[in-house]
Amino acid sequence: MSEQINKNPNTNTPKVDTRKTEINKFSLIFNKLGIYVVVVALIIIGLIVSKGTFFAASNIQSILEAVALIGMVSSGLIFITYSGNMTDMSIPLTMAVGGMMAVQTINFGFPVAILIGILSGALIGLVNGFMIGKFRANPIIWTWGFNLLLSGIVRVIWEGKQLYADKVAKDTEFAQNAANTFFSIARTYIGKYISLMAIVMIVMMVIAWFIHSKTKFGQKLKLIGTNYEVAKFSGINCTKTLVTAYIINGVCASIGGIFFAALRKTASYENGTGYDFSCLTAVLLGGCLLNGGKGSVVGTFGGVLAYGILNNILSWIGLGTYEKYLVQGLVFLFIVWLNTYSNRKLGRA
Amino acid sequence: MFKKYLAVMLAGTMLVSTLCLTGCGNSGSDSKDDKKASSEDSSSGGDNLAESKELLQKAIDDIQTTDNHQMMAEGTTFDVPEAEGDAEALEKLDDSDMNKWHYYEYLDWDSEADSRFPESPADGQKGKHVILIVHGAHAWTTCYQEAFEEACEAVGMTCDVYDPNWDQSTQDGYIDQAINEQPDAIVVIPVSADHAGQQFKKITKAGIPAFCSNTLPEADAMNNILAYTGPNDWYQMRNLASKLGEELGGKGGVAYITHNVGTSPYYARTFGPMSTLAEEYPDIKSLDVQSPGFEASAVKQVVSDWITKYGKDLNAIVLADDSDQAIGATEACKAAGREDILIVAAGMSKQGAELIQSGELKYASYQSCQADAGLAVRTVSEYFNGEDIERVSYIGTDIIGADNVEEYLPCQW
Repeated sequence: MSEQINKNPNTNTPKVDTRKTEINKFSLIFNKLGIYVVVVALIIIGLIVSKGTFFAASNIQSILEAVALIGMVSSGLIFITYSGNMTDMSIPLTMAVGGMMAVQTINFGFPVAILIGILSGALIGLVNGFMIGKFRANPIIWTWGFNLLLSGIVRVIWEGKQLYADKVAKDTEFAQNAANTFFSIARTYIGKYISLMAIVMIVMMVIAWFIHSKTKFGQKLKLIGTNYEVAKFSGINCTKTLVTAYIINGVCASIGGIFFAALRKTASYENGTGYDFSCLTAVLLGGCLLNGGKGSVVGTFGGVLAYGILNNILSWIGLGTYEKYLVQGLVFLFIVWLNTYSNRKLGRA
Repeated sequence: MFKKYLAVMLAGTMLVSTLCLTGCGNSGSDSKDDKKASSEDSSSGGDNLAESKELLQKAIDDIQTTDNHQMMAEGTTFDVPEAEGDAEALEKLDDSDMNKWHYYEYLDWDSEADSRFPESPADGQKGKHVILIVHGAHAWTTCYQEAFEEACEAVGMTCDVYDPNWDQSTQDGYIDQAINEQPDAIVVIPVSADHAGQQFKKITKAGIPAFCSNTLPEADAMNNILAYTGPNDWYQMRNLASKLGEELGGKGGVAYITHNVGTSPYYARTFGPMSTLAEEYPDIKSLDVQSPGFEASAVKQVVSDWITKYGKDLNAIVLADDSDQAIGATEACKAAGREDILIVAAGMSKQGAELIQSGELKYASYQSCQADAGLAVRTVSEYFNGEDIERVSYIGTDIIGADNVEEYLPCQW
């Protein structure tokens, strides 16, 4: 039977697989270093356009401060994307509610207000995680719907108005001090140039990195993100893991929301608008796959930096608004293409 | 057997539906009759008109904004100068040329092409029903809406408010819905100036008095708008620029942070001050124009970048907003130790007032959200009373600095 099929007269000659197996070096380098190749390229361009002043302390401070909020929120969102649940559309209202709850409870003192703000984010994360982890609700539809629901709730409760910490605070020294401390967290500098917001963002990234790479939870999340069914049949408690991921995400988003409210001195339902997409952009730029299972916190930090440096460079060049959108779009598409291309070349996607 | 049940159920459902529809229809026409009747009752003879005028006058005299100014004050009008060419020719002029912005600044429309507007019933505003369609949810809108409702109640009108949440097609849908409801008047804050023409055409064609509030529509839209009321953004920004030029001593570099690109405040708050400074102080240079939006951190980055890029050449910044944009800009200047940079903004919010008090913001233009609503209600009322109304009237304004900020506290939103 085999003789009939094999028409090669020399049946002893082993078959040679002529398919290309050589690994593309560029793909390998990009896959290893990821977004940091782009960050370095952007820094070089920055050095050129700024005529050497790119590394001025004030410029670095400007970049870090500009991305601090995106960085804080992205340090939580990476867990959602990594778990295969794409993104969290309720990030804007999680941020808004975090800020509003903190301001609303400012009379209990600054630490309590912050804690309540963070807990409100954790609670939103818990609900999201439970619905998506336990009932396998579509993560986009559910979080989008939940965002709408929260938007309605806060508008009804606060009648569509903005909350000012100093107005909410009673006329006592304790409450007014709490309000002033609340405002100051977004305006505090350690030394002359290092802002508290940037430090908090870096600390959150380090904690996220530790949880992501050094704990069993991180490993479980990778398996869930890679193949939910396999993870489930491997004995992983997928519901618990996803609920935890959403709680971390909610906490990070609410911390971002608290700083957001402190910076603009106002807590409002519109705080956080657009952060769902800008943070997802940073996470994806960092090499995270939308389908989950691949990505890192270090990469996400690179994505956040790339976001900030690009804006900085475009300001230096002095491009108009429309041209800025054009260049930003092109650069982001290029990075996503590079990620996809290098992954495909290495057979990792 | 099953088919029988199905047939019975279907027949039952149809019967119930028919009854419901008939009932609804009846109740609908009843309510319409009721509405007409109440309108007739309320407008019987000259009593309603006299009572309406009295109510309106009382509201004008009594109602105050939360910062203690008259909410329904008379609007101001401006003469429209002769344009130095058609719109196409003016477009080719430089951005810093005042003439270029003529058709953006003035509602300079051909009144001969006006639609036939509904005649005023001249029977008084009391008992009339108005629908207000705002542009979208925002703290400013909440403030406007509350003031509008308060003013309507004070003059004896009822109102419904529709909020399309900044969505053009939803606002179009609300226009249709409002027309179907046949109110006595419709007041719209258009989501987009470009699209306003079509919206008002529809309302006027349906025989309903159409009023435009706050957002300046395209000039041609006025052919279908009974009256426009709102702030004169160009005028107040030109005043602000004159004050800034004076503070700068007629020289230096100015950079601009804009409103959302393409909107009427974008042009007024960027090119208004730019062209005024170019005209009055030719030695003041325009350094850059950026549109980072309304997020404090984004504005802060742009201003920090400007400070690093332009150094001592940057002497002043003009902002389209005195809240988030002002916070971002002042924080950037403070962080860089450049408190010498003069910052002026269109306002006036609580954050802006605090920044003026602390000296971080030099001046802000006063634009009262509640007076905006008050003027709209006053104009609608005057129309119902059969009075002559201005086709275009603006709310009052002022320049707020450290010396007079107390007069405008507490802020409205």
